[in-house]
Amino acid sequence: MLGEETLVNQLQSKDTQSQAFEVLVDTYKQRLYWHIRRIVLDHDDTDDVLQNTFIKVYKNIDGFKGDSKLYSWMYRIATNEALSFLKVKSKKSGIENSELQDSMINNLQSDVYFEGDEIQLKLQKAIATLPEKQKLVFNMKYFQELKYEEISKILETSVGGLKASYHLAVKKIESFLKED
Amino acid sequence: MDRLSEGKSVIPKEEGFVVPENYFESLHENILKKMDAEETKVIRLNPYKKYYYAAASIAAIVLVVLGLNWNTAEALTFDDLAASDIETYFENNEFDLSTYEIAEVIPVDELEINDVLENRFAEENMLEYLDENIDDFEALNLEDDE
Repeated sequence: MLGEETLVNQLQSKDTQSQAFEVLVDTYKQRLYWHIRRIVLDHDDTDDVLQNTFIKVYKNIDGFKGDSKLYSWMYRIATNEALSFLKVKSKKSGIENSELQDSMINNLQSDVYFEGDEIQLKLQKAIATLPEKQKLVFNMKYFQELKYEEISKILETSVGGLKASYHLAVKKIESFLKED
Repeated sequence: MDRLSEGKSVIPKEEGFVVPENYFESLHENILKKMDAEETKVIRLNPYKKYYYAAASIAAIVLVVLGLNWNTAEALTFDDLAASDIETYFENNEFDLSTYEIAEVIPVDELEINDVLENRFAEENMLEYLDENIDDFEALNLEDDE
């Protein structure tokens, strides 16, 4: 696998750009897909947001200065894209964010790309009750198994704050799952 | 390591999400298609460019003639926009501006309270307010009255 720096250089040079872009997509598609999917839940919406994320990365790669790692920069773009996608969606349908979360969970039950059982559906309901930041941290830590340091670079917050958010999230989800 | 210390969690590790078959294989191609589609949207307009110019010049001539003959067509100003239109515009567009950034653009020093408030305070309103809300009007002991 290419080093990150080499990949960025190739992406920034016109001759190697298209080839490097294919490598970039292949390297990060799965990780970014699951990151976005956990925020927007629906597969088609995820596909939309993921494609836009890669296009944005491609168009803005010249502005990437290497202050952060390429992958945390891409994660940040993906997170912003997914969150603003939801914002636009709730504005378009004229409903509050919490109502949107409810309808997303309802849609999940009839979604052909969701094969979860009762407990897994309940897990999604539990996650939906969390505030935005706790939700992001929980998904990134519990399912994606990212390190606190990595999450802190992506979300640009302190490690201490993240740890607190994560533990709160786990507590809330556990007690939600234990309820009948 | 964190996982070990958590012990047995009731939270399932599997979420139940699935992905359509061959989705990831065709992703790169789909992104390229989308990028192409975005670019051709712009290119497709080119053959009609000359017609746009022609249409624009005719429109310009008509406007000039109208303006010369009657000179009554008033230019639109900011006041012609309904407040609701402006609100909708701000609601539907993301500006990514913080309050501080907005404050930098707006010349706060030159603003008067009455630029923001629609109703100016009339003197009688003020007196009425004081009359209703101050128990002992005389107790205010206004020096100017003396």
